[in-house]
Amino acid sequence: MKLVGIAGSIADESYNRKLLKFIATHFRSQVDIELLDINDIPMFNEDDDQSDGDAIQYIAQKIEAADGVIIATPEHNHTVPAALKSLIEWLSFSIHPLDGKPVMIVGASYYSQGSSRAQLHLRQILEAPGVGAITFPGNEVLLGNVKEAFDEKGNLKDQGTIDFIHTTLNKFIKFVKVINHVDEEADDAFEAEDLDATHPVDTTVTNVEMKAKDWVEQAAVKTNAVEGSAYVKLDRGLLTVDQLNYFFNTMPMELTFVDDNNQFIYYNKTMEGKDMLASRTPDQVGDRMTDVHPPRAIPNVKRVIHSLRTGKTDLVSMAVPGNNETKHIMHYYHAMHDADGNYRGVNEWVLDLYPIVASYLKQTGKKLVDDPNNQVDANAGASQGSASSKDDADKKPDVDANSGASEH
Amino acid sequence: MKKFVAIVGSNSKSSTNRKLLQYMQNHFKKEAQIELIEIKDLPIFKKSKEKTVPERAKEMAKKVEKADGVIIGTPEYDHSVPAVLLSALAWLSYGQHPFVDKPVMITGASYGSLGSSRAQAQLRQVLDSPEIKARIMPSSEFLLAHSLQAFDDNGNLNDKEAAKQLDGLFQDFLKFVEISGKLNNATAANKQKAADFNWEDNK
Repeated sequence: MKLVGIAGSIADESYNRKLLKFIATHFRSQVDIELLDINDIPMFNEDDDQSDGDAIQYIAQKIEAADGVIIATPEHNHTVPAALKSLIEWLSFSIHPLDGKPVMIVGASYYSQGSSRAQLHLRQILEAPGVGAITFPGNEVLLGNVKEAFDEKGNLKDQGTIDFIHTTLNKFIKFVKVINHVDEEADDAFEAEDLDATHPVDTTVTNVEMKAKDWVEQAAVKTNAVEGSAYVKLDRGLLTVDQLNYFFNTMPMELTFVDDNNQFIYYNKTMEGKDMLASRTPDQVGDRMTDVHPPRAIPNVKRVIHSLRTGKTDLVSMAVPGNNETKHIMHYYHAMHDADGNYRGVNEWVLDLYPIVASYLKQTGKKLVDDPNNQVDANAGASQGSASSKDDADKKPDVDANSGASEH
Repeated sequence: MKKFVAIVGSNSKSSTNRKLLQYMQNHFKKEAQIELIEIKDLPIFKKSKEKTVPERAKEMAKKVEKADGVIIGTPEYDHSVPAVLLSALAWLSYGQHPFVDKPVMITGASYGSLGSSRAQAQLRQVLDSPEIKARIMPSSEFLLAHSLQAFDDNGNLNDKEAAKQLDGLFQDFLKFVEISGKLNNATAANKQKAADFNWEDNK
């Protein structure tokens, strides 16, 4: 699970930032909390929409990608600081990244009140229709007398307080799961992913039958594609097309390029399809995603591509069914983007991790032993996004990786 | 004649809250002199070790200090007071306390049907905080709903009922200012209390 933490203060020294930092560090084994800074957020002004500016986009995208948000608010003049309010106004004007997002409010203050009024205002603000956040109900973390609360290392001194925050955080994590689950049930947006490749993009070669066995040759003619000794300028380097081929064809993995129109347009052909970890054949290049997957795999292919296209995750990785003690074949799907951050397709690579592990063991003299506490089903384990994240382990987007592009 | 300042709680060029205050400035010109104060050029409120306050905020504080009363026109953003107004009020209570015991009348205009009711309720709490401690006129609320359609070409209120209510409230405010002027025995002490208060929790 991934959360972002926003300290609602731009003061040079902020106890609320300190509190968030403590929570992020102390509970890091449980949840990944990234702290965001709001110092660069300009004052909200409806006449001067800066929603597309870097400062607001940075925070909006982080919130968008997170499962939930923790806001730590100070109290000033019985309410939230202007800087925090300004941020929320930006996030409820042209863009609405907090919409439907689970939010937990915490607050630290010098007095025993611990920002109670500000927290109440913040709840009202977050629940306003334009903001649309889903605030975690019934649990208040009010840290009073904050000056005495931390030791010199930035840790909370009082174990009772730590335990209370721990309990509340655990409840919030459950709350986040429930809320996001509700959203997912309703979210069938991935269904719209067009595996028939009927939405040409600027690089799509038109008027060539995608299923044609000689798609590459036909498309090359259409585009006057260079080949052989022609030079291509790259970022960063200059190679001939031949050199590019030498290069790709000696990569220690099988590479596949699927463009943003879900058309399979390249693989590094190093051997015959039958000898590959995930079979591809020369005549398949140019095919639509629909043509290279069996029908039963289609929903999950859609899910994977959709989560890459929408930025829900940049990387989906999965182990192939049937791996054993001397073979651990992995499929990785990485989103590709242009310089402006627009989605441009999937870079898929397939490789057997076992030889790498074996070589490591040999060089270091170590050996592999079973972990009695391990509950991961290693053979089927497929995780979206961060492979380390425990709660993602049960999301198994069972794309039939083995059959991959092989079923024509 | 009484002198009032009216704070435009918005940084938008087309604010209907400004329009409402302009209407009041014009409509009540025989009873009071109302000066509009714009807050849009103030920087976002930020505490510093040196307690620096922008010059503009100091000038504004002087105007508030000198005025017999203050009118605040607040829009409503996300069910609450706009950041720009919160920021201005924070500057006007940071190392300077011109609002202590100052009579304040709140008005608010909104495009929708609620006329900034929630923002006004929060604004009352803000104005009652230790470093502001204004005297908010009790039992008075002026909410101008559907504010885009509320004014005619001359900037007058279309709704006669609303105009009448505002007339009444303004008369009450004049009285409130008068009475308030007599309730000044504790003002010096109150000012000192505001100055001594320290929102260390806001760090």
